[in-house]
Formats: sequence, structure tokens, C-alpha cells
Amino acid sequence: MTTLTVTINERAYGPMDVRDDLTMNDFLREFLGLTGTKFGCGAAQCLSCAVIVDSTDGTSYTMPTCVAPATGFHGKAIRTVEGHVKNGELSALQKAFIDHFAFQCGYCTAGFLNEGQVLLERLEKKRVPRAELEKTIAEALDGHLCRCTGYIKYHEAVRDLILADPKRYLV
Amino acid sequence: MRFDIVVSVAVLLMGMLAAHALSETASSTLAGPESFASIADPEQRSVALFAELGKVLTHPRCVNCHPAGDRPRQGELGRMHQPPVERGPDGHGLKTMRCAICHQGANFEPGRVPGHPEWHLAPREMAWEGKMLGEICAQIKDPARNGGRSLQDLVHHIGTDTLVGWGWAPGFGRQPVPGTQRDAGELAEAWVRTGAVCPTR
Repeated sequence: MTTLTVTINERAYGPMDVRDDLTMNDFLREFLGLTGTKFGCGAAQCLSCAVIVDSTDGTSYTMPTCVAPATGFHGKAIRTVEGHVKNGELSALQKAFIDHFAFQCGYCTAGFLNEGQVLLERLEKKRVPRAELEKTIAEALDGHLCRCTGYIKYHEAVRDLILADPKRYLV
Repeated sequence: MRFDIVVSVAVLLMGMLAAHALSETASSTLAGPESFASIADPEQRSVALFAELGKVLTHPRCVNCHPAGDRPRQGELGRMHQPPVERGPDGHGLKTMRCAICHQGANFEPGRVPGHPEWHLAPREMAWEGKMLGEICAQIKDPARNGGRSLQDLVHHIGTDTLVGWGWAPGFGRQPVPGTQRDAGELAEAWVRTGAVCPTR
């Protein structure tokens, strides 16, 4: 057993003792009931289980939870799909996903949403030229698997959100 | 009917013999430097020492992260890594898919994911995949292709580097590199001491 303290969606959990072989995915879903984070392939290949990790330097990145020990998140701050809504209102990216019919069964959506959100925040800090936007989005969403709608609608949702506010995201 | 049975038994026996031969060739040990003392010619002894060390260098645990391209390999057969990751500018993955997001500080057996704090790909110039042992030998002696290391640095790297050492404790379902890291370090040291001669092929 190892002590775990972790901040999830701005709420502190722990300190608590957790098994060393407990995955973060099981911790979120089975212990905390945060079932928005999915369990897909179980091998970090579909990324439906990805959450956002907020680093202390102000940068963020996504991380699969199905192959990662919960104890590996000790002291970290993460965001799950449940953390995107603010004051009862969906985030801009969530709205864009709905407007574009980006998802069908929704199993991969939490992973795409987290990845897209990280990209938006990254672009706010370091904007890219319009000519590089398509490639930037494709690289960011690469690795996330979707079996229903394909990938184009997710891509278009992220792109159109960025193009709707070019000064914020583009050089 | 009787002929069919005879053929089936013969095929079964041949299969068992082939499996036995395969297990004989896959050694899990390394011969120590003293095993080569009977080779009088120092050059030949040096080559023989490197050939033994080659069991480590050409093992999938090592070659998989010394790939010829920009994607690591995995498994005993060197399949392309899944998910489809790439080396990125620093060998630690692309900006959006770093090695460390899956590969933690240590092996995580429930997820069957290997780990080490410095998990990354060897640089392009250190690619071993698809190369003959002689080519790998010439490569690791060349400071331009070995990360600027001297021969003594190489001995230290092979014998004590903890990422190299992962190869002997690779975790769930992975075949470890033969022998021990200490054995490999001693072979490397003996190889250097005898002139660090490379095999011709």
C-alpha cells in the first residue's frame, strides 16, 4: 500500500492508502465513481481513458490511466471529463463537439475532449500560423481511436472553434 | 488409416525435436571472459568476446529501442510499437505523445507496461536494427555514433547504466537479456582490454 494524495477537478482527495497495483482508471471509476473516464483497450492504445495532468509549470498534457498506477499520480493535479463543465455550462469545446455531431456512441469522447482542451490551452500560450493548424490538430488528436464517426468531425470541431477566435489561437 | 496415424506421430515427433533444438539455441546465460582464455590470439579472443556480448546487443530488449526508423519496436519479434508512437526531437516522443505518459518510473505489471525514469529511444545514429554484429561493433566504437563515448565509457554504460539494466528485469511476459548486467560489463571490459576488435560481419 502507498499513500496517495491527488487533486481531481480542483478537489483534493486523500491522503489515502491505495494498493500499488491499482490502476488510475480503477481508482477513478471504482473508488471515486468518476465513470466519465472510460476503460477501452486496457493497453494505452485507444486513449479513451486519457485524463489531463496539470503540471506545476502551467503546462498540461494528457495521460492514459488504464496502464498507469494510481500511485503514479501522487501529488498531481488532474482533470477528467467531469471537470469541464463550469457553473453548469458546457465548455466551448464540448459545445463544438455537439454542434459538429462529433461523437456517436461517446466512448472515445472523454479522451478526445481532454486532448482537444490541452491543445486549445497550448495554442493560447503559443499560437501557430493558420497554415500549420490542420497538422497541429491532427498531431494532437493522433492516437485517439474512434469507431463510430471517424475522426473528421472531432477534427473539424476543434478547428472551427479555433477559427472562430483566430486572435486567441493563431499567429 | 494406419498410415495416417504413422504420419501424424512422425510429424508430432519432428515438432517436438524442433522445439527442443530451439530451446537449446536460446541460451539464458553469458559465458564469462575466462571462457575465452584458451584462444591464444588476442585479436581472435577479442572478436569472440564481442560475439558473446552480441547476444546482449542484438537481443530484442535492446534492439527494440535502437530502431532503424523513428518508431520503436516491441515484443520478442520486434513488431512496430502500438500505439504508433514516434521518437520526436529528443527521443522521448512527440510533444503530444511522450514516452513517459505510459512508461512510468518502473515496470507496472498490472498494466504490463515496462518502465524506467529515463525511458526513451536511442538516437538515430545508434540504430542497431537490421545490422550485422560487425556493423554494430564498428558503430559503438565510433564516438560520432555512440554519443561521444570512449571505450571505457562504453564499458561503464553497458555494465552499470540502469536503463540498459532494465533489459535484465523487463517485467511481465518479456524475455530478459541473457546473463546479468555485470556479466555483460565484464565481457565489454575484456573486449576492450584485448583491443576492442570487431567481427568482420
